[in-house]
Amino acid sequence: MAVIQELDPPTLPGRLGYYAETRPERVALRVKRMGIWQPYTWREYRDEVAACGLMLQELGVANTDHVAILSDNRPEWLFADLGGQLIGARSVGIYQTNPPEDVAYVVSHSQSKVVFAEDQEQVDKLIEVADQTPSVTHIVVFEPRGTRDYEDPRLMTWDDFRAQGTALLAKSPHFFADSTAALDPEAPTMVVYTSGTTGQPKGALISSRNALTQSVRILQVMPVQECDQVLSYLPLCHVAEKIFSVFLPLSSGAVVHFGESIETVRADLREVSPTVFLGVPRIWEKMHASVSLKMKDASWLKRVLYEWASAAGKDISERRLAGRPKVLDRLTWWLADFLVFRPLQEKLGMRRCAVPVTGAAPISPDLLSWFHGVGIRILEGFGQTECAGVSHVNPVTQPVLGTVGRVLPGLECVVAEDGELLIRGPNVFCGYLHNDEATAATIDADGWLHTGDIGTIDDDGYTRITGRKKEIIITAGGKNLSPEKIENALKMSPYIKEAVAIGDRRKFISALIQIDGEAVGDWATRRELAFTSFADLTRRPEVDELVKTAINEANDRLARVEHVRAFRLFDKELHQDDGELTATQKVRRRAVAEIYEALIESIYTKGSS
Amino acid sequence: MTAPLLTIEDVRLSFAGVRALDGVSLTVDPGELVAVIGPNGAGKTSLFNCISGVYRPQQGRIGFDGHELLAHPPAQIARLGVARMFQNLALFDHLTVLENLLLGRHTQYDTRWWHDALWLPKSRRAEVTHRAQVEEIIDFLNLERYRKTPVGILPYGVLKRVELGRALCMEPKLLLLDEPAAGLNQEETEDLARYLLDIKEEMGITQILIEHELRFVLELADRVAVLDFGRKIADCAPHEVRQNAAVSQAYVGGGA
Repeated sequence: MAVIQELDPPTLPGRLGYYAETRPERVALRVKRMGIWQPYTWREYRDEVAACGLMLQELGVANTDHVAILSDNRPEWLFADLGGQLIGARSVGIYQTNPPEDVAYVVSHSQSKVVFAEDQEQVDKLIEVADQTPSVTHIVVFEPRGTRDYEDPRLMTWDDFRAQGTALLAKSPHFFADSTAALDPEAPTMVVYTSGTTGQPKGALISSRNALTQSVRILQVMPVQECDQVLSYLPLCHVAEKIFSVFLPLSSGAVVHFGESIETVRADLREVSPTVFLGVPRIWEKMHASVSLKMKDASWLKRVLYEWASAAGKDISERRLAGRPKVLDRLTWWLADFLVFRPLQEKLGMRRCAVPVTGAAPISPDLLSWFHGVGIRILEGFGQTECAGVSHVNPVTQPVLGTVGRVLPGLECVVAEDGELLIRGPNVFCGYLHNDEATAATIDADGWLHTGDIGTIDDDGYTRITGRKKEIIITAGGKNLSPEKIENALKMSPYIKEAVAIGDRRKFISALIQIDGEAVGDWATRRELAFTSFADLTRRPEVDELVKTAINEANDRLARVEHVRAFRLFDKELHQDDGELTATQKVRRRAVAEIYEALIESIYTKGSS
Repeated sequence: MTAPLLTIEDVRLSFAGVRALDGVSLTVDPGELVAVIGPNGAGKTSLFNCISGVYRPQQGRIGFDGHELLAHPPAQIARLGVARMFQNLALFDHLTVLENLLLGRHTQYDTRWWHDALWLPKSRRAEVTHRAQVEEIIDFLNLERYRKTPVGILPYGVLKRVELGRALCMEPKLLLLDEPAAGLNQEETEDLARYLLDIKEEMGITQILIEHELRFVLELADRVAVLDFGRKIADCAPHEVRQNAAVSQAYVGGGA
C-alpha cells in the first residue's frame, strides 16, 4: 500500500490559506443569487474568513470559546465556521429545523458566545430562549428582513459585521497568516452534535487533524480533484455534509456550490450537475420514486424502453460487479445508455457524477442495484460523527453492493466478541464536550472507538453492517433481526415514506407505516378517489390495500422470520416538532413506540390483520 | 407632517339608482398601510375601481402624488404608480412565473418596438435591468422554486404570491390589495401578512387593503376605514374598531 502523505499545512484554515496563495483567482465557491451563479475565488474566500475571524475576536470571542451557526447552507456558513476556527474558537452547527428548546439546549450546553442566525425565524427562536442562554453576547443575522424594529441589543446584521471586519482586516493584513501559523492541529475546532435518536444530543469534538487525516484517506479510494464540482445541500451541522463541503474541497481544491434554497435542490442539481455527490438514503429513495411516478405518465414507447433498459442494465451491472461480463454487454449497455440512461441521468442531474456516495443511514440493496442498473454507480460508505464522519467506503474500482466497503487506508477495524465494530485511527474524535463519562464509554483505554453498530468483515475486508446494537429486534422465537433492513425493504415502495418495524419480544414482525402523501395522493387522484387530507387518505380501505400489496412485495425480498405480518398507518406525517423525528429526519424509534403504544398494542391483541 | 400620498374627497358613484359610494373621503399618508373593511356590497371594490380609473365617479376628486387621477385613463394611472393585486388573479396561465412577472413590468418598458426588433444595445440593457428587478421580487417572495413553472399548474396559495409579485414588479408607489387572503389557509395567511409588513418596512410602499377577515386586518393595518352602504362610518386605529358602535351595528346588526 502506498505511503499516505499527510497534508501541509495541517489545519483547515491553513489549507484555505494555501489555496489562496497558490491559486488565488480560481473559483472556490459558487452561489446562486438572483438567478445567477456568482463565484467566489479562493482569495475572496480567504478574505471573507479572515474578516469574520477578526471581527469575532473584536466581539470578545477567544481561544476555545464557541460560536454557533443556525442557518441553511450558504457561503456565510463556511465563512463563520472557518472564521471561528481561525482564532482558535470552535464552531457549533445547529439544525435550523430545531424547535426553540432544542436550540436553547445546544447553545447553552456549548456556552456559545456569538450565534449566526439565518433570518427572522431563527432570530425569533433565539430571542424566545434568551433567558436560558445567557452566554450569548451577539446575534449576527444573515438576512435581517423583518427584524428592523427588534430591540434586542445583541442583534447585528451580517452586512455590518462583515463591513467592520473588512475595515479591521485592512489595518492588519498579516492577520490570516499569523493566525493560521499559531493554530494547533490537534485542538478541537468544531463541535458536531449527534442527532440523538436516544436522549439528549452529545457534542462531538473534532480537530483539524481528525478532519484532514480522514479526507486524505478518502482521496486514496475516491478520486476527488480540483476540477470536481460539489453541491452543498444537506445540513452543514451534520458531519457528512462537512466532509463534502469543507474537508474534501480544502484537501483537493474542488468547487463547492450553494443553491437557491432547500426547495430548489432538484433544479440546482440539474444546473450544477455535480461530479461528486453525497446523498442520504432519503434522497435516493426520492429520486427513485420520482422516476417511477414519471414513468406512469410516460407514453407507452418510453415505458417499454425504460422497462427493457433498466432490466437489462441491472443484469449487466450485476455481471460486471461479479467480474463475469458477457460479450454483448458492452453493446447493449451503449444502446440502453443512449436511449434511456443518458436522458434519465440528465434529468436527475447525475450525468457527470463520477462519485455518487450514500451514507448516514442504511440503504436498501434493491435501491442500490436499481441505481447501478441505470448507470449511477452509488458507493455506500459508513461512518459516524465520532470518527469525523467516515471510516468505511466502497472503492470506485470494485464496489460490493450490500457492504459498506473496506475500512479507509491507515485505519483499523475489528469485530468485538459481541459483534460490535471497533475502529482505531487518527480520525477518531477528541471526546464529547462537557461529558467525560460518555467519552469514556465510547473510546476505550486502547483507543478503540466503540461504534455501537453490529457487523461482519469478510476475507477481502468488505464490511457488512447488521444494525444498531441497541436496536436489534429479538423476536419471541429468539431470532435477532435488524429493523433497518425490514424498514428499507418497505421503503422501496414509492408509496411508503417511513416505516417502523416492531417485533421485539413479540410473536411476529409488524410495521407502522407512514404513506407518502404526494405519491399516494397522486395514485388516489388517478383512481378518482376523493380525499380531503392526509388523515382522510390513511382511512381509505383502498389505500390500506395499496400498502398491503407494497408490503407483500417487500416480504418477497425478506427472510421468512422477517416477514411483516401486520401493519397500521400513521394518520399524520411524523414530525420533528412532535419529537418523532431527529433533526436529520431519522425516526426516533423509542419515542414513536411510546407515543403510539396503543396503536402497536392493537396489532398484537387482535392478531394479524 | 408630510403631504398625503392619496386624497379622496367626497366621491359619489351610482349605477342606475344604486348608490355604490355616497360621499366617501379618505386620505392615505406615504408608507401607511390602510385597511378598508365593511360588509358585502359596502362599496370597497367600487372604491378601488375609482382609484384605478375603471369607474368614473359622478362627483368628487381623487388626488395622487400631485396628479388628479380622475383626469387620467386606467393605463395612465398605472404608469403614475398605482398597482393593483386582483382578487381573481390577473395572470397568464400558459406563461411561466418569470414571464408573468416580466409582463408586470410593461409600464416600465421605454424602448421602441424597432429597438427590440433590432436588439439594439438599449434593448439589451433594458432587458438586463428588468430581469434584475424581477429577480429581486422573486427573491423577496421566495418564488425561486417556481421561476420556470407555467402559472396554470401552480397551487392557489402560490398564485396569490405571484399575483402580488406581478403588482410589485410595477414598482408602484401605491399598492391596492383586493382581499389578498381570500381562499388561503392559516399558514399561507400568516406568510402573506409577513410579506405585507415587509413590503411596508423594506420597500416603503404605501398599501390599501380590502379585507373581510377582521383579525387579519386588525393585526396588520396602521389605520382602518369602515364602509357601510357606500358611506364611511369609521376611520380609526385598529384597536378602536372593536369598540366602535357604528361598526358593530353594521357587522353584527344592532345590540352588540
